[in-house]
Amino acid sequence: MEFDLDYLVQQLPALRAGLLLTMQVSAIAILLSVVVGLLGASARVLRLPLLSPLIAAYVEFIRNTPLLVQLFFIFFGLPSFGLTLSLFWSGVLALTLWAGAFQVENVRGGLAAVSPGLGEAARALGLTRWQYLRLVGLPLAVRSGLPAMLNTGVSLVKNSAYVSAIGLQDLAGVAFDRIASDFRAFEMLAVLLVGYLALVLSLSAAVRLLEHRLQAPFRR
Amino acid sequence: MIHDLSLLVENWPLLLIGLRATLSLAAVTLLASTVFGVLLGTLATVRARPVRWLVAFYVETFRDIPLIVTIFTIFFGAPFLGVPLQPFPAVALGLSLWGAANGAEIVRGGIQSIPKGQIEAATALGLHAWKIYLLVLWPQALRVLLPAFTGLLALIVQSTSLGALVGVTEFLKAGGLIIERSTVMQGINPAFAIYGFILLVYFSICSVLTALSRRLERRLATQGGARAVHAPDPSSV
Repeated sequence: MEFDLDYLVQQLPALRAGLLLTMQVSAIAILLSVVVGLLGASARVLRLPLLSPLIAAYVEFIRNTPLLVQLFFIFFGLPSFGLTLSLFWSGVLALTLWAGAFQVENVRGGLAAVSPGLGEAARALGLTRWQYLRLVGLPLAVRSGLPAMLNTGVSLVKNSAYVSAIGLQDLAGVAFDRIASDFRAFEMLAVLLVGYLALVLSLSAAVRLLEHRLQAPFRR
Repeated sequence: MIHDLSLLVENWPLLLIGLRATLSLAAVTLLASTVFGVLLGTLATVRARPVRWLVAFYVETFRDIPLIVTIFTIFFGAPFLGVPLQPFPAVALGLSLWGAANGAEIVRGGIQSIPKGQIEAATALGLHAWKIYLLVLWPQALRVLLPAFTGLLALIVQSTSLGALVGVTEFLKAGGLIIERSTVMQGINPAFAIYGFILLVYFSICSVLTALSRRLERRLATQGGARAVHAPDPSSV
């Protein structure tokens, strides 16, 4: 069996659609997970009663359970509970919940790095704790926590391949299907390796570039 | 609810078989990750640049490719190379290649956390490079990377669930079989309860390991000396 370039070219449209789906799912989930992270970290830092311990439990639970099982629970389990989501949104929800837990910790880490003097100054100026978070804390926390947040985003892109396990036709899903139906493993596996490496490496290059830019004020 | 509980009780043997497969997959992977992690992590600290580059290439590759793709590549690719693999060894191999890359990062961090002055002192005393590793670097590194390897084990346990996708009857797959059987034979779909139960079992195993890892890390911090290597973040592997 040898590498058949013609076959690969033939499959390009399907693979491109898969790649687009991977990027779509990842982009939506990254955005939503950042929202989860900002809200969750705020609730934790403000020590909101009830909410704060709940979020702590959520983070621990996600950290200590496999993403694949979380995905299966959402896609196969929630419908029997009366909540049915489409394939696409099941995938997005699972990835969002997974990455959201890590974003909570990333933002929290960023908030911890904000100098306490700023909090004291904000209080002296009469800002409420919410105002401090919104105007001072979170903007600074996002800045210092951005590399970690983007790293979680890179992992999310990688882990978006899990959604193929519930039958979504993302890049991995298309390729796995072709292997099963056409017995053309080499071509498809090559596409997968190149495709994901390209996605992950270009995203991490963007992370490094951004990190470099964010350090600009502190560089001479 | 009653039905779900009786399902769990009835299918206890199947769940145990699954759990045993999950734990043996994790054990094999931990062993391989430790052995090859120490080997590769050590090679990542030697003087020869080409060696370090090769190790870095290996580590980056297996950390950047989704683990699910690695496992499928091995399982579906092996027959084309004339060596068809059973699901269990294929998954064990895929997990080990990935685990060794993460283990290597931990070990490299552990060795590099040891002050340079010790290497210089050892060199000044006339110790060979390999003796420096054997007598100076490894014994100290092993101490600081124990917490990180415990954390890695929690990740390995979680990753073994990927075996379900290529036909290893591990814990997740066992649950899937129970759901299928009940849906077909009794017309009741217990997916919510069964997958919920499976999540809880993974949670109890992994949270014990995570807590242990944190405790070991704290204990090292209070003992002084070199600081512990951080456990790999689940969102970065």
